[in-house]
Amino acid sequence: MSLLEITDLKTYYRASDGWVRATDGVSLSVDRGETVGLVGESGSGKTTLAKSIIRLFPKNAEIVDGSINYDGTEITELTDRQLRKQIRWSEISMIPQNAMNGFDPVYTVGSQIVEVIRYHEDDTSKKEARKRARELFNELGIDPDRIDDYPHQFSGGMAQRAMIALALCLSPNIILADEPTTALDVVIQDRILETIKEKQREIDSAMIMITHDMSVVSETCDRIAVVYGGRVVEIADAETIMMSPRHPYTLGLRNAFPDISDEDKDLISIPGTPPDLVDPDEGCRFAPRCPFATEECWEVTPEAEDYGDGHMVECHRADEIEYLQEEAAKKETWMEQEIGRPDETPPEVTSDD
Amino acid sequence: MGLREYVIRRLLQLVVTFWAFFTLLFVLFRLVPGDPTSMFILDGMTPEQREQRIAELGLDQPLHVQYVEYISQLLTGDFGQSFIYREPVIDIIIVRFMNTIVLMGTALFFAYLIGLTFGALMGWWRGSKFERGGIVVTLAARSSPEFWVGIVLLSVFVFWLGWFPSGGMRTTGGELGGGFLARYGSTDFLRHLFLPALTGAIVFMATPTLLMRNTMLDVLNADFIEIKKAEGLPERTVLYRHAARNSVLPIVTVMAIATGAAMGGSVVIETVFNWPGMGREMVRAVNSNDYPVAMAAFFLMGSVVIIMNFLADLAYVYLDPRVEYE
Repeated sequence: MSLLEITDLKTYYRASDGWVRATDGVSLSVDRGETVGLVGESGSGKTTLAKSIIRLFPKNAEIVDGSINYDGTEITELTDRQLRKQIRWSEISMIPQNAMNGFDPVYTVGSQIVEVIRYHEDDTSKKEARKRARELFNELGIDPDRIDDYPHQFSGGMAQRAMIALALCLSPNIILADEPTTALDVVIQDRILETIKEKQREIDSAMIMITHDMSVVSETCDRIAVVYGGRVVEIADAETIMMSPRHPYTLGLRNAFPDISDEDKDLISIPGTPPDLVDPDEGCRFAPRCPFATEECWEVTPEAEDYGDGHMVECHRADEIEYLQEEAAKKETWMEQEIGRPDETPPEVTSDD
Repeated sequence: MGLREYVIRRLLQLVVTFWAFFTLLFVLFRLVPGDPTSMFILDGMTPEQREQRIAELGLDQPLHVQYVEYISQLLTGDFGQSFIYREPVIDIIIVRFMNTIVLMGTALFFAYLIGLTFGALMGWWRGSKFERGGIVVTLAARSSPEFWVGIVLLSVFVFWLGWFPSGGMRTTGGELGGGFLARYGSTDFLRHLFLPALTGAIVFMATPTLLMRNTMLDVLNADFIEIKKAEGLPERTVLYRHAARNSVLPIVTVMAIATGAAMGGSVVIETVFNWPGMGREMVRAVNSNDYPVAMAAFFLMGSVVIIMNFLADLAYVYLDPRVEYE
């Protein structure tokens, strides 16, 4: 049994024109010590998926169906108080995208670490908590005396390190890292990622790394889940996703990132935008942007199929791997005019509500 | 630059501000038409008597002499004699000034206490019935003229229910004098204070409520609020210790300005409730060209504004670590 077992999770947002299906039937498991990457464009629902695990979403969002089993505890059934006391931060903590804004500006960084330690551990004195904060700072390469500084006195990289200290202060079993390095410059990015990995190994915690950057996931993750339109369209170990993916969207994503070993490679972007998730129709959600979409793709929602070693793909044509990989590497394939519904009928613009 | 240098520099600025304020007052009062004798001319004052009176008051001196005299008197705390009462101004004004401070201080205290609390909750429960109802009530309070609120309260609580006295500061025949506490702490005084202070509180409440709600909405969108929730901290801690604490910052400045406005705007409430405060005295002094009294009243009011702003600046440094000492 995995540490975290998400089954058929559906997290919807109430909008004026219906339900936004930000996470729509996702199953995902995370083992102890494992790092799982969630990749996808902005608006694909990867952040909602991750935050659903600790039920951290606005009031208009709701888990409408599915289960999140954390180490035997069903998170969807906990009361708010149980969730706060037993799960949040002590078991599952997070590192936000922009550490600068992750700390309350009017309190010192140290006092915010002390606050969370003392809330979760009744017997820890203020002095002990401070000592732990200082130790964490030291381990993360920040001068321990700086725990008495305010967030605005930190540089971006240092603030991110301090945020990691905050995320680790209760030795959680899972860390949700929401694009932890996008706000930093490239040189620091790498060091921060290394630090995260190192500390993660030290306390043997699992991590869910949310990013749109393929190079980040390939370096840090054991397994990668590709998220599109609120669903996990492909999941496999990192090597398989990077070297021989089967889903056209994964192929497209891979094209959109530079490959250092191949300087001549053109960057190819996927035309179009992520789908509107308000009450989507039947059919593959990637079909409108997919150069390989057939009539079936527009009509029938693909089920996840297993291609061995936990390689799951939601695509009707995933078995034509060689053809797809070859075609997807060509720039012409992704030209906008090549894409669209094959039977020439223009896509319906008006929705029937 | 350290905190000490900052405070010292702000103090120096305070002195300069006060000097500019003194000078402005002096010039303004020399610019207004008429002089303290004008209202006696109709009563048959002869030109000779008038000249004599003007000389007595020192108004025949050249302006710069008057100015030097004026500044040195202010520095020794001497506001001169009232032209009309022929009593030291300080005796006339200081008691009324205290009466106004007590009344407006109470009103502002409750206005900001209630306003900040409700504003914070309205922001926190955005989109709820509580918030929508709160906005309607607040806007209604904001749009009601002070005198009207006062009259409504008077008719309900005094003439209908008979719970409170209709005006004044204390019951006739009640003892006067004694220390500050005896003067402003007695039950009789508090019963007189209740309605005018409530009127002020209702009128002043809208600004902090709406402002607090708006800044709360901004702060609640900040990333750190989400982190605090993810940390598992209880809602109450996130609301008060983090969200409201950050939202209160802009209110500090507004509060300083509002205090000044309350001092000046007290005249309506004082008139409705027959409160022997400075606002009414100031209006009387201006109407009768009683320069020294009017000037002392303006001086005290202006001083309150200047000092409140100074305190707000200091409070801001204390409340927001991001403020640079520049």
